[in-house]
Amino acid sequence: MTKTSLDLAGKQVTRAALFGLVSVALYFLLYLFEDSILEFTSQGGWYFIAPVAVAFLFSFIHGNFTAHFWEVLGIKAKK
Amino acid sequence: MEIATNFIPLNALDVTYLLVVGFIGGLVSGFIGSGGAFVLTPAMMSIGVPGIIAVASNICHKFPKALVGAIKRAKYGQVDVKLGLVLGVSAEAGVIYGAHIQEDIHRRFGDAGSNLYVSLAFVIILGIIGCYILWDAMKTRDSADDKEEKVARLARWVQSIHIPGTMMYFKCLNARVSVLFTLPLGFATGMLAATIAVGGFIGVPAMHYVLGAPALMASASELVVAFVMGLGGTMKFAWSGLVDIRLAMIILAGSLFGIQLGAIGTTYVKPHMIKMVMGVIMVLVLVSRAIVVPVYLSELGLIDTLAPHLPGALKNISFVVLIAALASGAAIVFSALWRGISLQRREAALAGAPAAAFAPDVVATPAAAQLSPVGRFERFLLASDGSEYSAGAVREAVRMASKCGARLHAVDIVAGGDTELDAMGEQFLARELDAARAHLDQVQRQAAAAGVACRSEATQANQVYQEIVSQAEKTQADLIIMGRRGRHGLARLMVGPSTVRVIGHAPCNVLVVPRAAELVGRRFVVAADGSRYSDTAALTAACLAKLCNTPVTVVSVTLPVHSDERKREAHQIVNRLVSFLKQEGVEVEGKIPHGRADEMIVQTANEKNADLIIMGSRGRTGLERVLLGSTSERVIDQTRCAVLIVK
Repeated sequence: MTKTSLDLAGKQVTRAALFGLVSVALYFLLYLFEDSILEFTSQGGWYFIAPVAVAFLFSFIHGNFTAHFWEVLGIKAKK
Repeated sequence: MEIATNFIPLNALDVTYLLVVGFIGGLVSGFIGSGGAFVLTPAMMSIGVPGIIAVASNICHKFPKALVGAIKRAKYGQVDVKLGLVLGVSAEAGVIYGAHIQEDIHRRFGDAGSNLYVSLAFVIILGIIGCYILWDAMKTRDSADDKEEKVARLARWVQSIHIPGTMMYFKCLNARVSVLFTLPLGFATGMLAATIAVGGFIGVPAMHYVLGAPALMASASELVVAFVMGLGGTMKFAWSGLVDIRLAMIILAGSLFGIQLGAIGTTYVKPHMIKMVMGVIMVLVLVSRAIVVPVYLSELGLIDTLAPHLPGALKNISFVVLIAALASGAAIVFSALWRGISLQRREAALAGAPAAAFAPDVVATPAAAQLSPVGRFERFLLASDGSEYSAGAVREAVRMASKCGARLHAVDIVAGGDTELDAMGEQFLARELDAARAHLDQVQRQAAAAGVACRSEATQANQVYQEIVSQAEKTQADLIIMGRRGRHGLARLMVGPSTVRVIGHAPCNVLVVPRAAELVGRRFVVAADGSRYSDTAALTAACLAKLCNTPVTVVSVTLPVHSDERKREAHQIVNRLVSFLKQEGVEVEGKIPHGRADEMIVQTANEKNADLIIMGSRGRTGLERVLLGSTSERVIDQTRCAVLIVK
């Protein structure tokens, strides 16, 4: 393995770990404040923004984590 | 708030279940652009979530998932954002209308009414579209023409209609289509999405069969539609406070792992696989939901009350079928992904490896080769159709020609009889021939880089195999080299692929090279049955083994039902050939396995890590082959290594 590819692999692992940690933290918060969050997001009316915002936030963080996760495992698209 | 009582408590088992189901749903969505959600709605309902909450939470997890999937597949060039947005906007109207109907039903008939409505929608929509897609996938698979998808007749008609002021160009269609067609399709997609959270079961087939988008691009662009209407649907349901954010985010956690994997999987498969996965899952989920319809009918008093044990039993059966649907979809996707990645790694390893020495480093002089049962190694006919199935044949043909100093004649034959030509039109044929010429130019460049003299010819013929045989006779080829289609079972017998027919009719030896096979001279396996054909194969093997300094394994297979006399005969056959090969100075061993001839030959080749099986041909063709089968044909079908059929 060349130095460049080792650097790239290292960066992927770092990114995966970083996004993974934030993702775990988000899910832990969701578990910890389950009732309050559920009550807040299901109030209806203009509070509809709350579940939408939560979904965007989770998708960004967790989406990045999962993308790097498979790459770190060597599962990549056919070129 | 009254509706909040519908949010069920979740335990660790529920969460694990939703994570797993979410992953598989995401896997399916990433692969077919939709369809993960149709598994998720019933999955949530099966743990007690009311239908409307399941649909609302599903939509809320769907739009961020679709966003991540669309971005991923856009990187592979599979997304037509414009088509996705145009359909998405009209789908939005459908979502609003569909959600309104859902809420109205829930208000009037309660949970049982809502559940019945969702289940019936599943049964009707999946019944019609699922069966059609499955049928079409089987048809496409059997046609074996993976090079280019044919545009459906309906789509050709839609693209031919010109309504001034409404026309719009879409890159994935490479045509202009009136938005008056896209509007109702989008609306129906949205309405279905709001009902069962899976608009894609109308969206993807509509884009493919009605508008004419390739299956891969239709499934990828559906993710854009899913994002647009998922966002709108979430707003609508969240406005009424129906979204259970816990359910949505737990499913999202699993599904984002799945959608990344599913999207990667699409880069390894042929279009018919997308339809196959979609059709199989749709039909199984339809069965799952149909089973519980009587329960909801009974709860609403529309039929007699069911026996006390029956609702529970029906729900359990429904659950098992749902799991079967999940398992089937995931298994097909995983299998396709695994095979694709394995093949690519093998091919990458081959491409990166130094030129291997199947052929001798010292080129045999023509005078010596004239006396060899291998025949001269001066003229090779390479039959390639430009598909990935021919990649191994092209690679090995160039490599062997380079080592032997042989000339290469490459042919790419476009299939089509007069009737088909009439149907396809001249333009279609011209396009096919252009593609064939482009492929042959590439082969010529490859050959030139390896210092091989190469001529090429792109032509059209009613019967591909006849043209290959005719070219072999015309060019006095010493060896025909060709690839192998990845088909097994009954379809192979019925279709009768060109490879098998060429072997039956060829005037010279035929080398069949699967796409990932490598000819590096590790070991040859010679199949012997005591006939003169297998003696010829042994002579050829001796010649090649000496030239390549490769060890040989001689195999003669006996069946358990064979008499002792027949088994003794097998020993004699093997001993005779082993003695002969030893005399020739070849490192050789004998093997007499028991079982089916084709299976044992392939198994021996696998065990010995052989890279070439050498067999004699009995030259069966036509009805005799269909009735009796052919060991060599079945070996070619099953093995991963190259097979040389000696004539």
